[in-house]
Amino acid sequence: MKFKIKILDKDYEVEIKEEKDGVKIKIDKEEFFFKEKAKTEKKPSFSQKRESEENEILAPIPGIISEIFVKEGDLVKKNQKLLTLSAMKMENEILSPREGKIKKIFVKKDQSVKQNEILILLE
Amino acid sequence: MKILEFEKVDSTQKKAKELAQKEKTPWLVALAKEQTKGRGRKGNFWYSPKGGLYFSVILPQIDIDNLQILTFLASFVVAKTIKENFKLEPFIKLPNDVYLRGKKVAGILTENLICNKKVKISIMGIGVNTNLDKFPKELKEKATSLKIELGKEVDNQKILREILKGLQEIFQKD
Repeated sequence: MKFKIKILDKDYEVEIKEEKDGVKIKIDKEEFFFKEKAKTEKKPSFSQKRESEENEILAPIPGIISEIFVKEGDLVKKNQKLLTLSAMKMENEILSPREGKIKKIFVKKDQSVKQNEILILLE
Repeated sequence: MKILEFEKVDSTQKKAKELAQKEKTPWLVALAKEQTKGRGRKGNFWYSPKGGLYFSVILPQIDIDNLQILTFLASFVVAKTIKENFKLEPFIKLPNDVYLRGKKVAGILTENLICNKKVKISIMGIGVNTNLDKFPKELKEKATSLKIELGKEVDNQKILREILKGLQEIFQKD
C-alpha cells in the first residue's frame, strides 16, 4: 500500500508492506521494520494458569524497586513485607498474599518495573 | 476524624502504621509536636523539632488506579492552605513538595501496603515547617518556615484542620 501524507508543508511518501514475520514501513527512503512479537509458548490450560497466577506476585503499578526484604528460599508469612516499590514518590510495600516459600525473585534493587510485571514467585 | 496527639514520637508515619495495623480507622490522625526520626521519602531525614506541624493520616480505602494522583492532590491542598491563609506564593514541586521562595516548606510522603493488588492501608504523612526559627547549617539554604517568611507565629491547629478538610474533600469528589 502506497500513499502520500503531508505534514506541515512537506510531502512524505509512505509505503506499507506486510511481510512474512512483520510489517515494513518505508517513509521516503527510510525503512522501518516492525517485527511480529515472538509467538508465546503454548498457552497453559485454565487450571494450570490459575495455579501459577496464584503464586505470582505482580507489580500493581509501574515503579522502581527500592528495597527487597526477602531472598530466595525464605519462608514468609501472610502479609509479610516482601519489597518496596516506589512510584510517583510513593512508597508501596508489597505484602505476601499467603504463607509460603520464596521460589524466585525476578527483580533487583533500583530496577524499574512495568505494571503487572512479575516480581516474585511463591512456591 | 480522630486526632491522636503525641508529645514526641520517632515518626508519625511509623505511629500511624502501627495504629492502622491494629484498627483500620480511616481519618485517624497521628500528630506529634516533635519527631526524633521524621522521615521523608526513601528514608531521608525530615528535620522535625518542636514548633513544626507533623502528622500522618490513615486514609480511607482507595482504588489502586487512583493512588498515583493522591500525593499530587495533597500537594495542592497544602499549597492552597498556605496561599489562602498567608498570601504567600507557594510553588509546588510535583509530586510531593511545596516551596516558598525556592526553599522547601512542606513535604508529603505517602506509603501504601499492598496485598494481592489491593491497597490494604494508605498512610499520608505531611510535614510543614510552620513555627521554626532556624534550620541547621546543612538545611539553611534548602528549607524555610512560615515563621521565617512571615516574621510571626502561625496557628498550627488551624493549618492542620484546613489541610485535613482539603484532604477529605478529595475523597468526597471520587
